[in-house]
Amino acid sequence: MTIKHHPPEDLLADFAAGRLDEADRLVVGVHAAQCPRCRRFIAAIEQLAGAALEQAAPVAMADDAFATVIAAIDAPEMASVPAPDVSQPVPPLDDDLPEILLRCRFGKSRRVAPGVKMQPIILPGADKSRAFLLWSAPGTRMLEHSHTGTELTLVLKGSFSHEGGDYRAGDFDFGDGEVDHQPIVGGDRPCLCLVAMRGDLQLHGWLGRLISPFVRL
Amino acid sequence: MEWAELIGRVAAHGDRAAFKLLFEHFAPRVKGFLVKTGMNADAAEEIAQTTLLTVWRKAAQFDPASAGAAAWIFTIARNLRIDSARQAARRAKAAVSAERDETPEVVDSPETMMARRDDVSRVAAALERLSEEQSKVIRMSFIEERPHGEIAETLGIPLGTVKSRIRLAMARLRDLLDD
Repeated sequence: MTIKHHPPEDLLADFAAGRLDEADRLVVGVHAAQCPRCRRFIAAIEQLAGAALEQAAPVAMADDAFATVIAAIDAPEMASVPAPDVSQPVPPLDDDLPEILLRCRFGKSRRVAPGVKMQPIILPGADKSRAFLLWSAPGTRMLEHSHTGTELTLVLKGSFSHEGGDYRAGDFDFGDGEVDHQPIVGGDRPCLCLVAMRGDLQLHGWLGRLISPFVRL
Repeated sequence: MEWAELIGRVAAHGDRAAFKLLFEHFAPRVKGFLVKTGMNADAAEEIAQTTLLTVWRKAAQFDPASAGAAAWIFTIARNLRIDSARQAARRAKAAVSAERDETPEVVDSPETMMARRDDVSRVAAALERLSEEQSKVIRMSFIEERPHGEIAETLGIPLGTVKSRIRLAMARLRDLLDD
């Protein structure tokens, strides 16, 4: 897989520092799991963070802190973390997904527009952004749109293109409020994307304004 | 003695004297780091304790060839901080909804996200070539989460140029890693 489009550096740095909202972290994490180049960048930030930790001004621990930890070490190993329930009440709309996604829980998928389906990923820790799978039929022309917030898109299968170029499996597309684009899905096979979205989608043109109440993302 | 060596001793024979040295050095620093980035002291104490407990339990997974001890411990503390924020959000939502929630964790464990061995030398070489000022600007902005005004003051540069300095430093790091 040749990945051409990567997340912006500040997003990778926020990921490494642990500062991303849950939905954004999921999309960046799935990209990084496939992308050695971004993993190296994250590793570099983690090294800098290690140096910052070394130099952080120490704050005294509670008097019994060490004893507490030793007691926890000596306590019989209990199943402190229950094994995650991997049963899926709602199966993902595609079962051939990266491993991190197979461990997620999905909501009901629904039709968004002709040839377009979305399936929410349930992330209770998500604060401002939402994550979902977006499935589009080959050749789908998405409506021209911009965003009030940011939109992080990772191509899992198939391809799409817009003014920014061609996006194939592994490619990452970052859209913010300034981007105004009209993606077209590649004609040979369906396109499956993982998306984290913040704010609302704004559709343009009279048709967009007419149908936007029916396009629910 | 090197920290990595102490972690090795913990892994090899549960060496408590080695663990005590690690605890005394890192626990107060993890706590200090968390407090400095906005966490209250009680929560920071708890995460610092759990971080060191995790160091004990996962010592065998530490690979000194792929990460420095401090970077490894940072990733443990970071993931615990993410988990605790997620659990707080989940509790807040559970309070308003009766629905049972069993969402599995999606946080990346430190061992899966750490660079592979063959990347290590590239990362080290890139960081070596990054200028002192550039690594400082990245650290202050992304890791220590300092406001731009403070960064400008520390580096003695105009406030208006902080943003572009950060962007340049990040692009430079990316270039060095691509070499």
